[in-house]
Amino acid sequence: MINLKLIFRVLGFLVLVEGLAMLLALLVSIIYKEDDLNAFFIISSGCIVLGLAVVFFTRKSSKKIGKREGFTIVSLVWIVFSIFGSLPYMINGYIPDFTNAFFETMSGFTTTGSSILRDIEALPHGILFWRSISQWLGGMGIIVLSLAVLPIFGIGGMQLYAAEVPGPAPDKISPKIKQTAKMLWGIYLILTVSEAILLWVGGMSFFDSICHSFTTMATGGFSTKQASIAHWDSPFIHYVIIIFMFLAGTNFSLTFSALNGKFIRVFKDEEFKYYISFIGIFTLIIFAGLLISQLYGVEKSFRDALFQVVSIITTTGYVTADYLLWHPFLTILIFSLFFFGGSAGSTGGGIKIMRIVILLKNSYYELKRMIHPHAVIPVRFNNHSVDSKIVTNVLAFFILYFLIFIVGSVIFTIMEPDMPSAMGAVATCLGNIGPGLGNVGPVENFYHIAPAGKWFLSGLMLLGRLELLTVLVLFSPSFWKE
Amino acid sequence: MKVVIAGAGEVGTHLAKMLSKEDHDIVLMDDNPDKLASISSEVDLLTITGSAHSFEDLKETGLAKADLFIAVTPYEERNVLACSMAKFLGVERTIARINNSEYLQERYRIKLDRMGINELIYPESLAAKEIVASIKQTGTRQLIEFSNGKLLLLGVKIRENAPILNKTLAELSYIDEGILAVAINRGGETIIPHGKDYILNGDIVFFITTRASQQKVFELTGKKQFGIKNIMIIGGSRIAQKTIEKLGDQYRIKVIENDRECCEKLADRFKNALIINGDGRNLELLKEEGLENMDAFIAVTGNSETNILGCHLAKSLGVKRSIAEVENLAFMDTAENMDIGSIINKKLIAASYIYRFTLNAEIANVKCLTASEAEVFEFIVKPNAKITEKQIKDLDLPEETKIGGYIRGEQGYVADGSTQIEAGDRVAVFTLPSGIKKLEKFFK
Repeated sequence: MINLKLIFRVLGFLVLVEGLAMLLALLVSIIYKEDDLNAFFIISSGCIVLGLAVVFFTRKSSKKIGKREGFTIVSLVWIVFSIFGSLPYMINGYIPDFTNAFFETMSGFTTTGSSILRDIEALPHGILFWRSISQWLGGMGIIVLSLAVLPIFGIGGMQLYAAEVPGPAPDKISPKIKQTAKMLWGIYLILTVSEAILLWVGGMSFFDSICHSFTTMATGGFSTKQASIAHWDSPFIHYVIIIFMFLAGTNFSLTFSALNGKFIRVFKDEEFKYYISFIGIFTLIIFAGLLISQLYGVEKSFRDALFQVVSIITTTGYVTADYLLWHPFLTILIFSLFFFGGSAGSTGGGIKIMRIVILLKNSYYELKRMIHPHAVIPVRFNNHSVDSKIVTNVLAFFILYFLIFIVGSVIFTIMEPDMPSAMGAVATCLGNIGPGLGNVGPVENFYHIAPAGKWFLSGLMLLGRLELLTVLVLFSPSFWKE
Repeated sequence: MKVVIAGAGEVGTHLAKMLSKEDHDIVLMDDNPDKLASISSEVDLLTITGSAHSFEDLKETGLAKADLFIAVTPYEERNVLACSMAKFLGVERTIARINNSEYLQERYRIKLDRMGINELIYPESLAAKEIVASIKQTGTRQLIEFSNGKLLLLGVKIRENAPILNKTLAELSYIDEGILAVAINRGGETIIPHGKDYILNGDIVFFITTRASQQKVFELTGKKQFGIKNIMIIGGSRIAQKTIEKLGDQYRIKVIENDRECCEKLADRFKNALIINGDGRNLELLKEEGLENMDAFIAVTGNSETNILGCHLAKSLGVKRSIAEVENLAFMDTAENMDIGSIINKKLIAASYIYRFTLNAEIANVKCLTASEAEVFEFIVKPNAKITEKQIKDLDLPEETKIGGYIRGEQGYVADGSTQIEAGDRVAVFTLPSGIKKLEKFFK
C-alpha cells in the first residue's frame, strides 16, 4: 500500500536541500571566521552525502506520489529537517542537549519563534544565521520550495502541495504547480530583499537586517537579539517591520496581483478587508488603553499597540513591549489575537482570517435560518457562495483546534503548574506565534520547561504549521487500512 | 503553450489530462464546480468555475495570453459564441465543437473564421468516418490511410491461424520488406516493438504497409477479405446518420431505432436504408430482421452497454464485422478483451483530432490507435529538421517511438534502419504519449 521507498527517496532529496541551505550558514561562518565553521562543514556535507546516497539507492522507486505518501512525506519532512537542523547547535555545545536543540529547530522551521536561548548575542554569526534561515525556509514551505526547484516532484507535486498548503483556498496563480511555486518564492524573495535593504538603511547592521528580514517574511519571530526588536529604539525600524509583517500575513496571490498593478482586486478581497479591520480595531482599543494607562507617550503608545497587534495576528511574535505589564484587559485582548492568524495563502499560522470570517458568517446566518427555516442562505465569501463542504471543513478545523488547545493546556499544566503560562505556551506553539503568557511571556524564554513539555510543544508546533488535518490524518485508522 | 478548455465533459477532461502531462499550461473552466473538483485533485492544472459565454469569466482564465481556446461544452451555440468571445479577448486560435455538419461546408468557413472561430470539430462526423473506413476495409480492426492511401496502417487481431504467430519482427521483415509492425496491443498494454519482439496469439498488431503489400498482410495474419453488402445499425443517433450518409448507395442498410419520431425522421431523410422501429436489445427482433445474414453490425445507441451486448451477440451469431460505440472510457479495456470486434469512442477521436493543434511541428494528421495508448502522427518534414541529418538507426530516437514509413513525391515507402528522411517527406511516426515531446524536437 504505502510506498516506503518513494517516501525515502523524496526525503532524501529534501535532506539534500537542507544540506545545501546549510552551506549558506557555512559561508557566514567562513566570513566571520568563528568556531562554528567545523560544525556546519561536517553537517552540511553529511546531509548532502546522505541525501545523495538515499536518492541513489531508491532510484528504482515508482514516481507516482499518492495521497497517503503525500501526507506522510509532508509530516515527516518537518521532523527530519528538525533532527538534522538541530545538529549544528549541538556540535559545539551552543545548545548541548538534543531536546533543547530540537525544540529550537522545530520552532525555527515551523516559524513559531519560541526560543530556549537565554543569551542569544553570545552565539556565533553562523548559528544565528542558521536560526534565521531555518525560519525563512519553513515560512514559505519546504515542499513549495522543492516543487519550484526539484524536477522529481513533477507527478505527485499536487498531493504534496495540497498537504503542505492546506488552507481553505489554496489559490494557484499559474496553471502549473511548479510555476506557482516559483512565483510564490519569487515574491517572497523580492519582499525579503526589500525589507533587508530598508532595515539596513534604518540603521541595523547588514547581518541583523538580513536575519530579521528572513524571520519577518516567514512570520517567524527569531531575533538575533535577546530583547527582540525592542533592542532597536528606532521608530523607522519598527514601522518597516510592521509593514513587512503585515505583508507576510497577506495572501501571497494578492501581493502577486498588487505587483502586477491590479490593486482593485486587492481592495475588493474580502479576507483582506477583514484582515485590515481586525488589525485596525484591536490597535485602536489597545492604543486607547495605553493612552489611558499613561505608560508611554502618544506616538510610542500607538507604535507599540500597532506593532504588538500586527506581530501577534500575523503569528510573527516579535516584541517591542512587554504586553504582560499592560492592564490585564489589554493583555487578554492580545491573548485573544493568538487565535486569529494571518490570511489564507500567507506565511502566517494560526486559524487564519478566512476561517474566522466563514465561521462568524455561518453562525450569524444560523440565526437568520432560525427565523426563516426554509430560506436558502449560503455563506458568501468574495461574492461567491462557499461550498458547504468547505464550511464543514472549517467547522471541523475550528473544533479540533480548540479541542487540542484545551486538552493540550490540561496536559501541559502537569508539566508547568501555572495556568496562564500553560495556556499561553500551548496557544503560542499551536498558532506558531512565539511568545506566550506568564513565565513564557515576551521577555521570557522556554528554557525552564521540562523536557517532556518541550517535546509536547514541538509536536504542537508541527500540528499548527500543517494546519492539524495533514498530521492528524496519519493517526486515523482509515489512513492505514487498505 | 497555454490552453484554455471550456467544458469539463469527457472530451474536455480527456484533453486536459493529455495536455497537462506534456508541460502545457492548462486552464479548464466549467460552470459546475463538482466536475472541476475531481479533476483538479488529479491533474496539475488550473480550474475556474464560470460560464463559457461570460466575458468576465473568460477574462478570469487569462485568455489574452493564451495560445489556444477549445470550446467543448455540450452545446453547439454556446461553443460557437464562446469562441467568438474568446477571440475578441485576444486568444491566438479557437476551436469549437459543433453538432451540425452545415458549418463544416467550405463556403461558410471564411464567415466563421471572421467570427473568430478558427477550427471546427464535429466528433460524430469523425466517428462516422472511422466506421465507414472499417466497413470498407474488412479483416482489420483499424485502417488509417496516409496521403490518400499511399501508405496504410492496418490494425489486425492475430489469431491461432496466423502464419506469423510466434515469429519475431526481424523474421517478418525477411518475409516482406514492405511490411513493418509498428505497435502491438497486448492485454491492454501497448508496446512499440523492436526487432526481437515476438508476435503472440491475441495481439492486435498494427502494420504499416503500402497498397502493393497490403494483400500480403492479410495472408500473413490469416485474414480473408470479404465483401460487405448487408449492414445492420442499431441506434439512430447522429453517428448513425452520418455513417449512413457516408456509406452511400452500394450497401443494404437496416437501422433499428427505438424512438418512433426519430424513425420517421430517418425514413424521411434516407432513401437507401430500411428503418425499423424497435428496441435494439430485443433479441427476437434482431433475429427476425436477419441478424445472421448480416455482413456487418454497427451498434451506435447512446448506451455503451447495449452496444457491447449487441456486438457480442452479433459476433456469436457469426457476423463477421462488428463495430461498437463505447463512450464510457472505463469500459474500453474490458470491451476490447470481449471479442466484440472494433470499438470506437468519439471522445478519444475528438481529443486526438484537437491534439494536433497544440504541437509546434507541422502535422498533417494525428490519430489514436483504437484501444491502445499509442498515437500515430503524420509529420511534414521541414528543411533542416533534425530528422534529416542521419539515417534512422543513427538518429537516437526515443525507445517509445517508431518511424513507420514515409511518403516522398507520389510514392509511399516503409521505413527501415537505413532510411534517410528528407525535407518535404511526410513521415508516419508511432509513439506512446510519453514520447511525443521528445519526438517533436526531431521535426522542428
